[in-house]
Amino acid sequence: MSGARPETPEELRLLAGEYVLGVLGGAEMRAVGQQATIDPQLARAIAGWERRLGPMLTAVAEVAPPDALWARIQHAKSQVPDGRQGANPAARLASVPSAAARPPAEPAWPRPAAPRRVWPWKAATGVSLAVAVALAAFVGVPSLARRPTVPMPGGRDVALVAVLAQPESRGEPRQDTTAQMASDSGTARLAEPSDTPDPARAAARPAGFLAATWPDGTVLLTAFAPVQVPGGKALELWLQPPDATAPRSLGLLPAAGRQVTLPGVPAPGTVLSVSLEPPGGSPTGAPTGRVVYAGTLRPIRQ
Amino acid sequence: MSAISAEGDGEMDHPAARVDSPVSLATLIAAVAAGDDAAFRQIYDRRASRLYGIALRITRQPPLASDAVQEAFLELWRNASRFDERRGNPDIWLASLVRYRALDMTRRWGREVSDEDVPEAVDDTPDALARMESSSDAAALRVCLDKLEPERRTLLSLAFLDGLSHSELAARLHVPIGSVKSWIRRSLQTLRVCLEGEA
Repeated sequence: MSGARPETPEELRLLAGEYVLGVLGGAEMRAVGQQATIDPQLARAIAGWERRLGPMLTAVAEVAPPDALWARIQHAKSQVPDGRQGANPAARLASVPSAAARPPAEPAWPRPAAPRRVWPWKAATGVSLAVAVALAAFVGVPSLARRPTVPMPGGRDVALVAVLAQPESRGEPRQDTTAQMASDSGTARLAEPSDTPDPARAAARPAGFLAATWPDGTVLLTAFAPVQVPGGKALELWLQPPDATAPRSLGLLPAAGRQVTLPGVPAPGTVLSVSLEPPGGSPTGAPTGRVVYAGTLRPIRQ
Repeated sequence: MSAISAEGDGEMDHPAARVDSPVSLATLIAAVAAGDDAAFRQIYDRRASRLYGIALRITRQPPLASDAVQEAFLELWRNASRFDERRGNPDIWLASLVRYRALDMTRRWGREVSDEDVPEAVDDTPDALARMESSSDAAALRVCLDKLEPERRTLLSLAFLDGLSHSELAARLHVPIGSVKSWIRRSLQTLRVCLEGEA
């Protein structure tokens, strides 16, 4: 399959089977998952395969998750803006229909509407950003380039981008919040493998990650070049809206980057930062290690 | 009629949900839909290891596995109310929340990981299916899997449990991707006919 919905019920069923098995490529998987949200027949076929194949999962060994995971989930849950955490039962009940009204794309597949190109990079929001982006384009950011380019309704939705750079270099003025974080980090510097290309080295501020947001709350972070994390440490990602007094955790950040889905689009001026933490993540819910990368989300003008 | 008519019918009695507590997993999910924090915690206590194991088996990277489980639990918190209509078996529903996320992350970020990071508990021996539990659902599937040639069975296991794509399977088994695709399709057809007795 590529694009077109299968013609026959048997073809549809096989496609659903391939989807549930997980053998399709990333873009195809997402396309099928998205199609299932509007195609009840496909959704039923998928549910059928999940039911048939599901018992195989009992063969997978259980593995205790890191101790910190529950705290992370609790913390992330407290950020879900649906009013459930409130003590008012009426508020809770009221929240249920709105949850149910969400497009059914989410449960089975995380990022349905995430979309389209953020790559009309022409409208730079700052010189160093333009430089870094040009370098990123030169080096290639494969996982970004592979994203399906689904046009968004009302294409003028704001997409925000940030270059997360090592905060100790002073290539450009930055927001107070960032400066504050940077001041804690002293001479923070990640060891970088000497044999890997480092496009960021040419830029004013050594950059670690490129962050881009989509109107559905998806935030994608991609490493410019392989980031080597010191032994016994993990990278943790933090988000601090312009009006917030402290950053909140978005979870651990693999060295290659990752995708995060937020409940909504972050506000321009939101600071993303990356700190060095113990392997399971910060035990306190606040950064405990030095901030190694930070950047501020800014809109792309179209 | 086809499998479609049989799909989406009532809740299946999953043994794991029955033995570990008098309160069924489905009941807990319903409580979560009403905003019950304690039920949410109970589901985590009961199923986090299972779900983390599934995610780790696919991603091979503890941080990604943690992310997949975290996102799945957030999805559970937000959309528990949708459970009944969508899936009969709560374990299958929870596993789906985790699996598709883990697969997506793996497709995006790859699996490369240094040896020291792979937990010993991750087991990709080809006949990992031998460990399937013996509930009636699993027994029926096991019988049908046994009707496949061993290589085809391994193919399904590497796909479903380890999350290998068509192209990864082709590379792993040193066969053309076209062969992998047609083997998978034929195996799926065989399984469905075997499980549902329909030609």
